[in-house]
Amino acid sequence: MKTVHTDVLIIGTGFGAAAPALRLAQAGAKVTMIEKGPRVQTADFRQTSDPRYLLKYLRGTPGDHLSLTYAEALGGGSGFYEMVSLRAPSVAFDQLDAQGHRLWPEGLDRAALDPYYDLAERMLHVSQIPLAEVPKTGLVFAQLMKNLGYSVDRARYAVRGCQGSGFCVTGCVYGAKQSLFLNYLPQAVEAGAEIETDLEALSVQPLAHPHPRAWLTLGETPYRYQVICQRRTGERERLRFVARVVILGGGTVGTATLLLRSRTYLPLLSEHVGRNIAYNGSVKVAGLLPDGFPDADMFTGRTHPGMISYHFLQSHGITVHGVKAQPLMIVSAARMKLEGHRRVSGWWGEPNVELMQQMRHRMIVLAAFGLTPPGAALDVSEDGRARVVLPLDAALERYHADTRQLLESILLRNGCRLVETDFLDKQFEPEQGVHFSTAHQVGSCRMAERKADGVVTSNGEVFDYPGLYVSDGAVIPSSLSVNTSLTILANAERIAAGIIDRYRPSSRAPAR
Amino acid sequence: MRDLTRRQLLQHLGLITAGLAVACTPLKVLTSAYPQAFDDDAELTDGVLRAFALTVIPSAPAGDPDLARAFTDPDLPFAPYAGFFASDLARRAGNRFETPFERLDVAQRAAVIREALAADGTTQKLYGSAILLAQVAFYAGIYDDKRGCELIGFEGGYHWHPLAAITHPDPARFLPEALTADGNYS
Repeated sequence: MKTVHTDVLIIGTGFGAAAPALRLAQAGAKVTMIEKGPRVQTADFRQTSDPRYLLKYLRGTPGDHLSLTYAEALGGGSGFYEMVSLRAPSVAFDQLDAQGHRLWPEGLDRAALDPYYDLAERMLHVSQIPLAEVPKTGLVFAQLMKNLGYSVDRARYAVRGCQGSGFCVTGCVYGAKQSLFLNYLPQAVEAGAEIETDLEALSVQPLAHPHPRAWLTLGETPYRYQVICQRRTGERERLRFVARVVILGGGTVGTATLLLRSRTYLPLLSEHVGRNIAYNGSVKVAGLLPDGFPDADMFTGRTHPGMISYHFLQSHGITVHGVKAQPLMIVSAARMKLEGHRRVSGWWGEPNVELMQQMRHRMIVLAAFGLTPPGAALDVSEDGRARVVLPLDAALERYHADTRQLLESILLRNGCRLVETDFLDKQFEPEQGVHFSTAHQVGSCRMAERKADGVVTSNGEVFDYPGLYVSDGAVIPSSLSVNTSLTILANAERIAAGIIDRYRPSSRAPAR
Repeated sequence: MRDLTRRQLLQHLGLITAGLAVACTPLKVLTSAYPQAFDDDAELTDGVLRAFALTVIPSAPAGDPDLARAFTDPDLPFAPYAGFFASDLARRAGNRFETPFERLDVAQRAAVIREALAADGTTQKLYGSAILLAQVAFYAGIYDDKRGCELIGFEGGYHWHPLAAITHPDPARFLPEALTADGNYS
């Protein structure tokens, strides 16, 4: 097995991995990144509904009452996200657990993250959508809220020169969306980082060595971990990376799965690995606009329709959004029929065609993202397959029912007709009971002040494993009520700054 | 046994399991015994599957060459069941109307499908999946990036729209009060 030595090995290339790679490479460390998914760039993207294309990059983790979606490709989810880039509101950082303890570690709040949000926003060219570019669906959503006296704000996006094609989630063919392979990753490479794709980390193993003196510089730090990897193409060759510092940035599912697979080698890991997953309790409802209401447009304009309402954040712990989606996503996500439709075959046949013909201009979908507690857990089988389990309790059922009722009331009080939506599971069967689906999963290896409460310190270092860090969404300890990418990136910038401060790579000894 | 084809073996297994409660029967077993013609005669199967798609989406153009393509697309998970599915439609149509499924009118075909959707769990799953596949393939236009679906006004990819077509004029009139200066809530 070939062995590669590096100062810092970073697993993953998404929002949690890109910032440490860039900052550590700029600081003089020899950085190697490995990515399980394929290399991808703007020219590889298509404006398509071809499931084969989407399944090349997108993955799902099914489960009980919750299902997760994420991407496996260079740049992680950044190639396929809606580019919504919002700072988490203060109330998200102030959430308490069932015992009344703050979920976020002491001293970590919005004010502490703001300098890193600034940095991340500059890197991704984040700005508020100009009023003149708000898509029709966003304006219709604003009108629905305005009619009821509710506030709405223009959202913020990581984009330059948006063409409004409506295909954000299949990858921006114009290179307008600020995916990480347009900024962080090439800058990291320019600073000396190396990136390998189609390479999966199988296990992380500590190397036996004398306990190091505290506060060694990076160059003085011994090689402390080996990571066994396997190529996902060709001969499926195995490689061994040996590193002084290892940073896990493979995402909430990927990082927890890797650590759980490595537990044999890392017996002191916290029992919280794979647990405490938060998911922004997403609830969706759909309706048809009443006659006389301006047209929406489900298919054109940026995928996220430009507007967010914080009106219910303090009172209900939710933000409310309009939602746009391509036919592929809508049809494969839910069986839809007009509420009260008498024909049994409402989700197919002529009634369904009539509904589908109204989808583009007359259908409005609302979603709420909520501060639901971090109650889900990953269950990883011996063959590495993960499922997510979300125990339902009365409070969560009540949250779902109340939130749905609120969203439906917004539609009904505007004169909309409701569209029944039976959301489908991975086998395209209607989900039974309450079910959440999200791409905003965080927290499987959460930060905590004590090992009894989490997996990593507030600096991202795994308890009892010096030099082993987690820097991705897995460390975020709570739901955020807004899209998670900017917070993951800002927190990764913060963790990267801490690692640089700790190891001072620029004062490293000459390479061996 | 050495001369037994895979197809015959599957049929044999299907007969052995015929006594099992159908609701508990795995799809792989249930679909192993059906007339060979639905695997051998692509035209026969295609005709039935096209009629099925036109029942699920009655306004779809009958001449659409891709209408039933997804059912037998080897890259999609339904293909192994396509032959059985077509045969099951034919069997149910024969039992109920004594007419091949593809020759029934829309209402009769819909009745056949409704009957299957009310049958055992495995059959429900098979028919539910087939309906979804027909809808996804047609409405999303999965076989041509640029084509979309004219019936629902979906243009597909690579159609550029000027800003005026994406938004409404005088957008300020839609907006209520905002709570933030820049979109970030503190």
